[in-house]
Amino acid sequence: MKAIIIPIAALGLALASCSDDKATQPTAAFTVDANRVEVNQSVTVRFTGNADNVVVFPGDQGQDYDLIKENNTGLVVNKGLFTYAYSTPGTYKMVCVATNHADEGMSLLSDTCSTWIRVIDDATEIEKISAYPVVRDEIFATQCNDADWLMAFPRKMRYQSGNPAVTLSRKLKFYTASQSTAVLVGGEPYSASKSYDLSAVLDITTRSHEGTERAYKLHTLYYGEFKTFAVAGVKGTIERDPFDYNNYVMNITVAEGTDLSALKPEFTLFADNEKVYIGNEEQTSGVSVVDFTKPVTYRFVTTSTENPQISVESTCVVNIK
Amino acid sequence: MRLTNISFKGIAAGMLLAVSGAFLAGCDDFLDQEVKGNNTSEKFYDTRYKLQASLNAVYDILQSDAMQDTDWRFGEAIGDNVVGRDEGLSSHMGQLAHFRFNTSNNYILNRWTIYYKGIHRVNQVIANIDRARLSTDDYSAYKDIREILGQAKFLRAYFYFNLARTFGGVPIRPEVEEVDKIVVPRSTLEQTYAYIEKDLREAAIMLPARYTSNNSGKASSGAATALLMKVLMYQAKPGVPSEKWEEMTRLGDYFVKGASLKFKDMLHYPENYDGEDWESLRKRLWFKPQELNKETDPYETAENECPTLLNAYSLRYVDAYGGAITYDQQFYLQGEFCQGSIFEIVFKESGDGTTGDTNEGNSIYMNMFPAAYNSADGAQVPIFGDQAIITTIIFTGSNAADARRRFIMGHHETTPDMENTEIGAGHLLPLKWYTPLKDRPVYGGDNGKNRRVLRYADVVLMYAEALNECGKGAQALEQLNSNKKVVNEINNSSTLYIGGGYGYLRQQIWDERTIELCYEWERFFDIVRQGRAKECLKIFSDLRSNRRGAYFKEGVNEIFPIPQREIDLSNGIVTQNPGY
Repeated sequence: MKAIIIPIAALGLALASCSDDKATQPTAAFTVDANRVEVNQSVTVRFTGNADNVVVFPGDQGQDYDLIKENNTGLVVNKGLFTYAYSTPGTYKMVCVATNHADEGMSLLSDTCSTWIRVIDDATEIEKISAYPVVRDEIFATQCNDADWLMAFPRKMRYQSGNPAVTLSRKLKFYTASQSTAVLVGGEPYSASKSYDLSAVLDITTRSHEGTERAYKLHTLYYGEFKTFAVAGVKGTIERDPFDYNNYVMNITVAEGTDLSALKPEFTLFADNEKVYIGNEEQTSGVSVVDFTKPVTYRFVTTSTENPQISVESTCVVNIK
Repeated sequence: MRLTNISFKGIAAGMLLAVSGAFLAGCDDFLDQEVKGNNTSEKFYDTRYKLQASLNAVYDILQSDAMQDTDWRFGEAIGDNVVGRDEGLSSHMGQLAHFRFNTSNNYILNRWTIYYKGIHRVNQVIANIDRARLSTDDYSAYKDIREILGQAKFLRAYFYFNLARTFGGVPIRPEVEEVDKIVVPRSTLEQTYAYIEKDLREAAIMLPARYTSNNSGKASSGAATALLMKVLMYQAKPGVPSEKWEEMTRLGDYFVKGASLKFKDMLHYPENYDGEDWESLRKRLWFKPQELNKETDPYETAENECPTLLNAYSLRYVDAYGGAITYDQQFYLQGEFCQGSIFEIVFKESGDGTTGDTNEGNSIYMNMFPAAYNSADGAQVPIFGDQAIITTIIFTGSNAADARRRFIMGHHETTPDMENTEIGAGHLLPLKWYTPLKDRPVYGGDNGKNRRVLRYADVVLMYAEALNECGKGAQALEQLNSNKKVVNEINNSSTLYIGGGYGYLRQQIWDERTIELCYEWERFFDIVRQGRAKECLKIFSDLRSNRRGAYFKEGVNEIFPIPQREIDLSNGIVTQNPGY
């Protein structure tokens, strides 16, 4: 009899202790490997408390424990390990919620602990600048050096059967390394819906979330082309390629019997900062003598009036028959 | 009495020990004996039939539910073209789709596991290929082994490519695993892609242009070249000039326009071969050794031309025999191995379609488009389209009236063979996932619908994109419109894409990819590659009340974390991706 009672008593004790285990008050405790991180840098959280279920609220948008009644939610911790990277800079309260079920699942015991995480973002870099839309295209600027960007447009574009003019009043798009980087154009906050006057150099400033500022300049140039061109009394018109903004063609038919080997074309350009060359020889209207027995490639160089190091090139192949 | 008992027990125990000892001794002898009548790892691979069996085991992984499951979850369900049934944050799938997962997410681990399972199997084929013994010196005997090896290389590249675009650089497993080197650190992304490229380049010269008839499901040179173009495209960055884009245009010239491409140009021989002479390379790839060549046997040199792919594939909707099919039939039994299809995962239905047999095709498309089987299942479909997504994301701008729109079925709409789709109000299902009535066996439930993995339209659009990136806009437009013109024949439309500068053309090419390749489980990877995943998921999340996609973190979520189990088991030798 005694032998029977002892196992039953032991079983009872064991069951009781199981029941006690379930109802234990959880303890929330965790360590983080860094309280000051950069954007997208991992924060490793190790749960050191004791609980059945652990959830971490990183504290950023949609995941703020203090806004739990506004449907903010946390992220589940598995095996005591949780990693997270913040995508926006700021100071966040990271909260760990440890819970145990009690009363056979009818109630929940919980404990919380928290720490502050400072997320740094000092990025001031511009990755791309574009003008959009230009007719239907998005035209990207090229980076000349650490500070200067160059946007180049044709004066007209070929779109379907038309040649719409490209004005210098354009909307801009800035692709910054960080979404938190503020962009100022001419000292004013950048607006995606505003058309900027690109006829003068634009001063652009980026300001990181940490407050670091960096200055850029956006130069805009037109590709050079003939405003007018005439040879042996016949006017030519440039033909544009819908895919290629800086290489043009001109076909001219002159009177039969014209000697093509030594003609003096008369032409005008659009602006003083545009020069035209054949090879490296600068051409002067009505003066330079050109052999048109083969197609001739004119090379245009448009130079920035503010920075002579910045220029764009274009070509026009003239075929005379 | 007690003592006697003890003695008895002692004797019994002694006897037991003695008997056990005898058995153990017997086991020892037994283990020493040579296995008769069974295959051993040394002998298994000695004929082409056995090698083919081991290659079939690799194709078997492609057919597995586990692989199909992970492909639609990662390629489609987390992207911006579909709504998921399971988008609650309490499930691992919901967490994945919201980009609010932890590194122990089951679906991330599943993807890693099944792809490495494929790699393990395919490495068995590749590592043991030289065990093959030929009973004849015929050229065709070498060719048979070569084609097995070529397919294995394609499949290994396919597995690693899907890992690379999911996880970044991954561990390259040795072909012969060693117990004391079981932990392999990650290779860089560049090294991983170089490994993938090498396999594909070699496969492309080892395989025929396309397989036909009973061999239709095998990976061909066309498949290797198409995948190579895709692998190059994933390494190149839109807007940044690169040799990858340039090489894509050369491969496109070869694939689409029929330009000649020599073996040495496909392989990048000798520059990628570190002194390996041509004859050694030939032997390694199972081209018949020169010393054994008969006069009538061809001898392949580095100057040989790759197999002609022009006319092997077509944008037109025609089956393998040239008979006209409709757009949606490209994805049905009738369109299996059609001329627009380059590589398919083959599912063959079982004899009578009754349940209980292990037909891998069974659950995949049935889960995706179940309404026609049983309207009650319509409520269980895991992912589906949505009217707002269709009009805001897929068929936009001048493509609003594109003929392909009609191949997406809404609630109560009927499929071309007049089945009613019962999938819940506002839900839409693409016919790409549908199995027509006549393609289903009598007993239902079990169908052998193949999955199209690589299509010719994709090749043409990749070619167009590369041409545009290389400043060849006019040619890019020609390729882009070559697909659109075939589509226009569906509804006699004349809407074509319009010539313009780089940015405009690129947008139009991406728009066409969005439509042509939608619901083929590529979307998420495509928008990540294009560098606009954040932008696309923002547009998508604004359409959704649960804001799925809003938590996508640019710079982090483009690739997924290495499963925590791998980090833990490797004791940190396998390192984690940034941000995780």
